[in-house]
Amino acid sequence: MVGASMSGAWRLSRVTYGFLGLFLLLASRPLPVFSADRLSEIKSAGVLRWGADAEGGAPYIYPDPQKPEQMTGFEFELANALAAKLGVRAQMVQNQWDQLIPALQRGNFDIVLNGLEITPENQQRIAMSLPYYVYAQQIVTRAETTGLEKLEELKGQRVGVLSSTVAQRLVTGLGGVDVRIYPGNVESFRDLKAGRIDAVVLDLPIAIYYARPDPGLKFSGAPFAPGYYGIGVLKEDTTLLAALNTAIEQLAADGTLERIYRKYDVWDDRQKNLKDYKPQKVSARATVSTLRDWPKYLPLLLRGALVTAEISVLAMALAVVAGLVVVLARLYGIAPVRWLARAYVEVMRGTPLLIQLFLIYYGLPQIGIRLNAFLAAILGLGLNYAANEAENYRAGILAVPRGQSEASLALGMTRWQCLCRIILPQAARMVIPPVTNDFIAMFKDSSIVSVITMVELTKVYGMLAMATYDYIGLGLMTAGIYFALSYPLSIFANHLEKKLCHDRR
Amino acid sequence: MIAVERLVKSYKSNCVLHGVDHTQQRGEAVVLIGPSGCGKSTFLRCLNQLEIADSGRITIGGVTVEGGCPPRTRAEHDRQRQLRLQAGMVFQSFNLFPHLTVLRNIAEAPIVVKGVAPDEAMAFARELLAKVGLENKTAAYPSELSGGQQQRVAIARALAMRPQVMLFDEPTSALDPELRDEVLRVMRQLVEEGMTMIVVTHEMQFARDMADYVIFFDGGRVAEIGPPEQIFSDAKQERTREFLKRCTTR
Repeated sequence: MVGASMSGAWRLSRVTYGFLGLFLLLASRPLPVFSADRLSEIKSAGVLRWGADAEGGAPYIYPDPQKPEQMTGFEFELANALAAKLGVRAQMVQNQWDQLIPALQRGNFDIVLNGLEITPENQQRIAMSLPYYVYAQQIVTRAETTGLEKLEELKGQRVGVLSSTVAQRLVTGLGGVDVRIYPGNVESFRDLKAGRIDAVVLDLPIAIYYARPDPGLKFSGAPFAPGYYGIGVLKEDTTLLAALNTAIEQLAADGTLERIYRKYDVWDDRQKNLKDYKPQKVSARATVSTLRDWPKYLPLLLRGALVTAEISVLAMALAVVAGLVVVLARLYGIAPVRWLARAYVEVMRGTPLLIQLFLIYYGLPQIGIRLNAFLAAILGLGLNYAANEAENYRAGILAVPRGQSEASLALGMTRWQCLCRIILPQAARMVIPPVTNDFIAMFKDSSIVSVITMVELTKVYGMLAMATYDYIGLGLMTAGIYFALSYPLSIFANHLEKKLCHDRR
Repeated sequence: MIAVERLVKSYKSNCVLHGVDHTQQRGEAVVLIGPSGCGKSTFLRCLNQLEIADSGRITIGGVTVEGGCPPRTRAEHDRQRQLRLQAGMVFQSFNLFPHLTVLRNIAEAPIVVKGVAPDEAMAFARELLAKVGLENKTAAYPSELSGGQQQRVAIARALAMRPQVMLFDEPTSALDPELRDEVLRVMRQLVEEGMTMIVVTHEMQFARDMADYVIFFDGGRVAEIGPPEQIFSDAKQERTREFLKRCTTR
């Protein structure tokens, strides 16, 4: 399936990621090395591996716009400075941001240094260093917006936040807010300018980098809800943690931190409070079993499943109809129409679904067509799958023997009557299996629409897994729901096929 | 009833019909014989426009179509269909519609093309099925029938459009010998009823018994034409005698 392979990489990073991680954790990789001391390992290797996400990561860590092969950012320089204090070289390891902690626990790198907030939730799972930066939340609106200067004023508004951030927790916790969750920094501001949302709440450094230079946007109200960024290390790496704490204190005292932060314009008076930080006692993490507490979690997943089902069914309906138009144009149209139909199929299946969705959702507003996320999702998936369905139909139509159309034409039918009465009914039976297959693939592929802020089943799974760390329980429930969606479809298709194929016994 | 003038047809550079003329009166049964590749099937397919002749003129039942290019305008398409409606076609490979019952196979075109009321079309279809001896197969699907039964349904299907002329393109060639007779019996019946028909076949006995006259086709031309008794016993052309000798000794 073309559609499936296009978004394969994406699916891998979503549902499958949890399972894949799990299997790696359980099966192939031993749990993080307990025996040797991490700090001496780092020193003997001469390399401090730090995990971060450079995708949309400015101003923390991002490819230098002038020299894209090199990284830059205040955390990039901080990592180098820290490594220098330990007498080693820093080596950045790219990892999806919301999966940094699981990756640290798998041993992919030694530390996490990437805007990781010092929160009880994080401290239950890993040890956190002394803070190296005091962040705050900033509300950003369009320049002409008035009001919306305080968190409480966002009630009843459409508010964009970055996935799995403090801002998401704050805004969601407020209640009564239409929260839109974005995978990256740029998209939320684009939607804000396009008028799809009313405000964006996010960490101040991100707002400084992305929103402040934009004359169409403004900071609304003062920063609020300050918190601390700390470095994440495994709980057992106590000597490493101590060495990092010492290094941070030294870098703060000798002015290195201030120098780095000023360079990236993220220095403010709050940073002077770094030394006043008091570590809090953290109680041991209560393990959550979402399976045991299923009445609490299943309804949330089912609500996501409803969105998945709605999008998949509507997009498939569009694909089935549009595919028919395309294939008829391709097989029976006049020459220019045939070429257009052929080009449509080749372009739609030769370009990634992800890019198509971005173009429809973020690109079309630039020429004045503004679709909401739901419509954009249906249109994107539907038009993409239409190309596949057109090819399925074409195979089915061409498989009908030539004698069939000759017989019907000889009986005096018009080409159209021949097509509708004789060719298509026979082709229909042949295309039921591949179209059903695509429909089932659609249920799973539809998870990609979370990139345009649709909260569907996989997104709900990701959010809950992030909050509970129960990948197994939630994963089983989520997989079960997907299966429950697609299996009846298989049965129905089998039934339909049998009903239509009375002549093949 | 049928008038064909200077019919020429070629595929790329290969000329299949070299200006064939043919006239046929109402009620005449004509059998076309000749070696394979001689153009007899192409001739038949040109008659009902499954192939478009390069040049020449075809008239069946008062409808005339000129050779040349495929129809483009609506009027040209309509004229082509009018011509097809004059001629019923029976194919070597039956070409029944596998997704329709036997009855529906027969009634479909009258309903769709002629706008006959379904009840009426079904009743006529039953009548035709009885005529070809398959009145108990109305609800069957084509795949449930033997080849001979399928071809008899195909004949009934063509007759359902009440054509002026019936064209048979090697109707028994795909059948085992024991199944051929049931099809030939139906064809004999049609001849006796006075149906105008052109039959392309290798069934020499049928030609001998039923044809008003026989046309021997060779190399895209009418090589010889005459009543069966003359063709079979006293052909003028050496080529015809050779062909018939091979056929009968086979």
